Amino acid sequence: MKLQHYLGGLEGLGPITVEKRVFVEEWETRIFGIHTAMMALSPQLPFHTTPSAFHTVWTWAHLRTGAEGLNPFDYFKYRYYEKWLGGICGYLIDNGYITGEELDARTAEYLADPDKPLPQGGAPEIDRRVERYLATGDSPKRDVAVRPDFQEGDTVTVRNVPTVDHTRLPGFLRNHSGVVETVYPGAYGYLTDTGTDGIGAPMPVYCVRFEAEELWPGNTEPNVTLYADLYAAYVGKPAA
Amino acid sequence: MTDRFHHPDDRETRSAARVRALEALLIEKGIITSRTVDTVLDVFETKMGPFNGARIVAHAWVDPAFKTRLIEDAPAAIAEMTDLPEGMAGAEGEHMRAVANGEGVHNLVICTLCSCYPWPVLGLPPYWYKDPTFRSRAAREPRAVLKEFGLTVPDSTEVKVWDSSAQIRWFVVPERPAGTEGMSESELAALVTPESMMGVAVAASP
Repeated sequence: MKLQHYLGGLEGLGPITVEKRVFVEEWETRIFGIHTAMMALSPQLPFHTTPSAFHTVWTWAHLRTGAEGLNPFDYFKYRYYEKWLGGICGYLIDNGYITGEELDARTAEYLADPDKPLPQGGAPEIDRRVERYLATGDSPKRDVAVRPDFQEGDTVTVRNVPTVDHTRLPGFLRNHSGVVETVYPGAYGYLTDTGTDGIGAPMPVYCVRFEAEELWPGNTEPNVTLYADLYAAYVGKPAA
Repeated sequence: MTDRFHHPDDRETRSAARVRALEALLIEKGIITSRTVDTVLDVFETKMGPFNGARIVAHAWVDPAFKTRLIEDAPAAIAEMTDLPEGMAGAEGEHMRAVANGEGVHNLVICTLCSCYPWPVLGLPPYWYKDPTFRSRAAREPRAVLKEFGLTVPDSTEVKVWDSSAQIRWFVVPERPAGTEGMSESELAALVTPESMMGVAVAASP
């Protein structure tokens, strides 16, 4: 069990920090750009080929799996983009694009001289592909015929699937029952196969309505309903 | 054990140097160009951002039939607004849905697992949305959380919390504020804040 999967409803936390900025340090903009470019250049996507040396798959699932695999205390210790920076550096080293030694050496150079300019150049097709990715996206919808097991109005129970590294199932919903609000047309894949957790192949997605009082009896507010979009693998028949 | 949550004093300068080193190496090795990161950031300045969502909401306020279509099929309705930038069904907005606040209903969008957010219409998620405290508390005690944002929602109003965890990205159509009769669409759009389109605020008053 990974604490990161079970945040919904956690008690004992303090007030919300209402920080409306997207980036709180200028360097965060750069790691965001690098991550987005890596997603855009990832070779499984159907965009034009470029001279980029990037040749391995990188998706949201990789970034999320890294954050979910952190020691939970580190997860809370590090800010959002600090986790990105760690995860992306680790991936690029593990896949042989850079070495830890050259990254450390270059970091020391920029620590000594933060204004040292970046190298210049590169093929414009790379940037055109990044723009194309942002404008087009990467729809998980798949042209596969599926027959949903449930219809709108059906009561369903969230399965307690054996999650391994990564999941899209919010932990606080496990074993709870709700009512199917919407059966989305068509089938949705996911960026990776999550193994025994159960998603990856195209399958229906349901929007399921839960009563907060059923999720947290006597420990929530009145008149609250929670809606979650759940892959079919996470949804089963209620226990008789 | 006591230094479990310790950060070095040069926390930010270290990260800044490391990310600059990373960008330099990726340019040298031909993975990205020296323009790539700025290209990404430019898109969020000019093409994908809350300025689009504000225009969509303002259009829904003045055209009830459009609002109905927006709730029924957000991508199709948004595609009707042909003067929006390209990419309104692009990254992180391939399957968007809109929910409307109204008499007796208040909607709040959250992502308990991470930070799912409708990029084309709202841009990138702000820190409060990504904060583990918000993600934890908003699911179970949304009214208490909204109060900290300065919004009081009475018990008689149903609070609908939308937790984004598959591939559908949600946003809220807030209610049109009183005293805005006769205002133009662009004047109305200026009242639609990013927070109001996630449900932690109402639209600004004129």
